[in-house]
Amino acid sequence: MTLQEQIRANRRRTAVVFLGFAILILAFVAIIGGAYSPGLAGVLGIFMIGYGIISYYASGRIIAAAAHAKPVTKQDQPRVYRILENVAIAAGLPKTPDLYLIDDSSPNAFAAGRDPKHAYVAVTTGLLALMDDREVEGVLAHEVGHIRNRDVKLMSIAAVLVGAIALAADMLMRITIWGGDSDDNSLGWIGVAAGLLAAVLAPIGASMLQMSLSRRREYLADAAAVEFTGDAEGLALALAALRDDHQPLKHVTRATAHLYIESPLRDHKGLRSSLGGMFDTHPPLEDRIAKLEEIGGFTLPAATPAPQAP
Amino acid sequence: MIVLWIVLAVVVILVVWLVFAYNKLVRLRNEAEQGYSSIDIQLKRRADLIPNLVETVKAYATHERGVFEDVAAARSKMLSADSVGEAAGAERQMRGALGRLFAVAEAYPELRASENFRALQEELSDTEDKIAAARRYYNNVVQRYNTSQQTFPTNLMAGALGFRPREFFELDDEGDRAPVAVDLSKP
Repeated sequence: MTLQEQIRANRRRTAVVFLGFAILILAFVAIIGGAYSPGLAGVLGIFMIGYGIISYYASGRIIAAAAHAKPVTKQDQPRVYRILENVAIAAGLPKTPDLYLIDDSSPNAFAAGRDPKHAYVAVTTGLLALMDDREVEGVLAHEVGHIRNRDVKLMSIAAVLVGAIALAADMLMRITIWGGDSDDNSLGWIGVAAGLLAAVLAPIGASMLQMSLSRRREYLADAAAVEFTGDAEGLALALAALRDDHQPLKHVTRATAHLYIESPLRDHKGLRSSLGGMFDTHPPLEDRIAKLEEIGGFTLPAATPAPQAP
Repeated sequence: MIVLWIVLAVVVILVVWLVFAYNKLVRLRNEAEQGYSSIDIQLKRRADLIPNLVETVKAYATHERGVFEDVAAARSKMLSADSVGEAAGAERQMRGALGRLFAVAEAYPELRASENFRALQEELSDTEDKIAAARRYYNNVVQRYNTSQQTFPTNLMAGALGFRPREFFELDDEGDRAPVAVDLSKP
């Protein structure tokens, strides 16, 4: 797949995601309207459409707020900013993306925004403390790769919409359980059944959407990073450092998980581990490192074993 | 009648292909132009740093005229370059001259300790990294541009429509990255 094909495919998928979102809103509004009150449904419908429009333009800012990422200037972080500038030049971006910092000791990074002119790269303080310049360059190049490949818009919008779906499903569940017992409600039991079904299915659909978005994209962004820096080993070392670090990220939800360079939920126990790899948003780091080793013709030392859970 | 339709279909397919292939070449040509101008911006930025750098070094190392002249020559050659090859040549010369300049500076501890000199040195090495980045982008695009011109079937029309392969911005890295040994700098 060439870059142009990838960019076109991303555009197509953005349209599909919006269409899917519109259908979900319609279904949601119809259920509320049918089972409870048309007035409430109208208000919710308008609210959701507004949310969709806002998410198109402001997804980057919404995500930054959710991830506790704050913009920093060149004066604050000259070292990182310079590396980012260089990578952006090597990628041929029209401008250097903004740099955001997340105050978190778990190393991770993501990119978000709507197009290469309105995009930013966020890194955690833990990542900067853990990695040397070469590894940081690999990570930033991977994120800039997402920006250049036009992944960020789709991934950002998906994050915000998945968040909205989760919210809507949650709301539906509550209304269904607590609010559906009035006598003037002839469609009561249909409403309850549909509500429960939607509340269960919507998040699963959202997860599948996220999953389909990100796995292949990570490999492509890794390849783009190597194109920009000419240093496959730098990125592989960075990924190995991420692999060997097991601190969970603080401010992360399922909705934003697919944005990060490596799955931030990897070290969160619970739902994810019980589902095995089925809903993973990222390919295993081992596979990504192996691909880089192939490109660059080198071999990293094997992984240090993960600490065993007691 | 059926022959006419077949001919028509073939013509339509050819025209559609021509439009797509042409647009692709134009896009790559524009990207290459843009890539070159981003190298140019960095080269200019460095050229702007050089008078200041030379003045700073001169203040401490008054007897190293040869090096200053080399740097000035490389700078004016760079500013007057109007092809990729010339710019790359000037860049090679500039690297050599700056290498010698910094080798000279090594011999003057007060110069090395000067804050101004250190700031300039840092700025210069940043510019150098950016030139390398811009060069990598430009060469990547040029490679794609040239390849698409030379591969079948685009090669049948690329030349006729005025697309020419572009020159890479080449520096044969081994040679000019190696530190330059200069007798002048030995005390």
